[in-house]
Amino acid sequence: MSANYGTPLIQVQNLGKSFGDLKVLQGITVDIHQGDVVCVIGPSGSGKSTFLRCLNRLEEATEGNIFFDGEDIVNPKTNIDKHRQKMGMVFQQFNLFPHMTILKNMTLAPVKLQGESQPDADKRAMQLLERVGLADRAKAYPEQLSGGQKQRIAIVRALMMKPEVMLFDEPTSALDPEMVGEVLAVMRELAQERMTMVVVTHEMGFAREVANRVMFMDGGNFVEEGSPKELFGNPRNERLKSFLSKVL
Amino acid sequence: MWKNFCDTFYLNFIKEDRWHYIADGLAVTLQITLLAAILGIIIGLIVGVIRTTYEKTHKLKVMNFFCTVYLTVIRGTPVVVQLLIMYFVIFGNSRIDKVPVAVMAFGINSGAYVAEIFRSGINSVDGGQMEAGRSLGFNYLETMRYIILPQAFKNVLPTLCNEFIALLKETSVAGYIALQDLTKGGDIIRSRTYSAFMPLIAVAIIYLLLVMILSRLVGILERRLRRSER
Repeated sequence: MSANYGTPLIQVQNLGKSFGDLKVLQGITVDIHQGDVVCVIGPSGSGKSTFLRCLNRLEEATEGNIFFDGEDIVNPKTNIDKHRQKMGMVFQQFNLFPHMTILKNMTLAPVKLQGESQPDADKRAMQLLERVGLADRAKAYPEQLSGGQKQRIAIVRALMMKPEVMLFDEPTSALDPEMVGEVLAVMRELAQERMTMVVVTHEMGFAREVANRVMFMDGGNFVEEGSPKELFGNPRNERLKSFLSKVL
Repeated sequence: MWKNFCDTFYLNFIKEDRWHYIADGLAVTLQITLLAAILGIIIGLIVGVIRTTYEKTHKLKVMNFFCTVYLTVIRGTPVVVQLLIMYFVIFGNSRIDKVPVAVMAFGINSGAYVAEIFRSGINSVDGGQMEAGRSLGFNYLETMRYIILPQAFKNVLPTLCNEFIALLKETSVAGYIALQDLTKGGDIIRSRTYSAFMPLIAVAIIYLLLVMILSRLVGILERRLRRSER
């Protein structure tokens, strides 16, 4: 369990999501604390991505509550745009804006939404690019970059908004194997800086090394959670055991 | 033969400065086309965004209904009839100048086609782009404006230009409300000189040249866009 027992950053209570009659998520209750690195693992179709996308309301939950910054973001009256500024999201397909340079991709949101001046934003963007080793690509367009480079840009683009939590939706699944490492390295560094992260992933090595909590989802709910050591070393649930035997 | 040609040419274009009918008519045609194109883009953009918003989010139901009615009516009736209704029914009692009437009729007509072009353009942008914009904290309209529409616009620019080439030719029916556009100009000369060949062929050649020039520009534009994608 998390070492931090203060008020959770994100409180998920009895979250449910159905598409028509199909229940994708059911009765999920989980607290995510400041500095947590939560890895969500599980078979495909278990609802991992849907859970993550409910956290910033890219999917509308059909039941339950999610409290973030003291507000229930499931409530349709909540200004979700304001909260999303504090929740960075990284997608499997990168979703960089192809009509903008890398620099513009990174500075658009802070300039338009947070009123930062273009030179200030440019400066911060260059510092971040420096850190991920892509400063020389600032003026390039996304299509000129490799998959691994695109995903590193997607991460720093989200960081430009100074988020309180970063959501990763299978960030390495669309990458060629040799590019997975460079993206995980950036994420590892983020974790070391105590960034709160929720990561849906198939990278068991990353979950084992970097996460402080690993949660196994199956059939629309978390069936087991614990430290990586507990979960990988001594799985109790049968479905988790069979899942781990297939992926490890 | 040559003498005959020169005489007809003189009669139709030089005598009594008749070439003015062609030149003034051309100016009117270009003016109507340009202004109607601008009006068409504005209407098309609004209608296109409303329609795609409804398709994707099921919001704006009432506005979408009116847009659908607009598209059905405009695309289901001839442009000449729309022009006549605009002039004799809607503006029948007011002494408004004919050019603005034509601009409105052709602009509203073109807007319906442009709306569908924009709709397909917006739909051609990957869904992840909207999600990425929203996840950064942009609202729906901001995401449309900064992220979706610039890409959609680029995708449909050649189609859009072709629509305006078609519009240029369509304005030739402006003579129905006695507006002296290029076609009407040629026709007036014909009625004065009783020689049909020369003025009408001249009008046709001018349209053809304009369309060829514009098509050429669209071709260059398309190649530029393709190059910038690489």
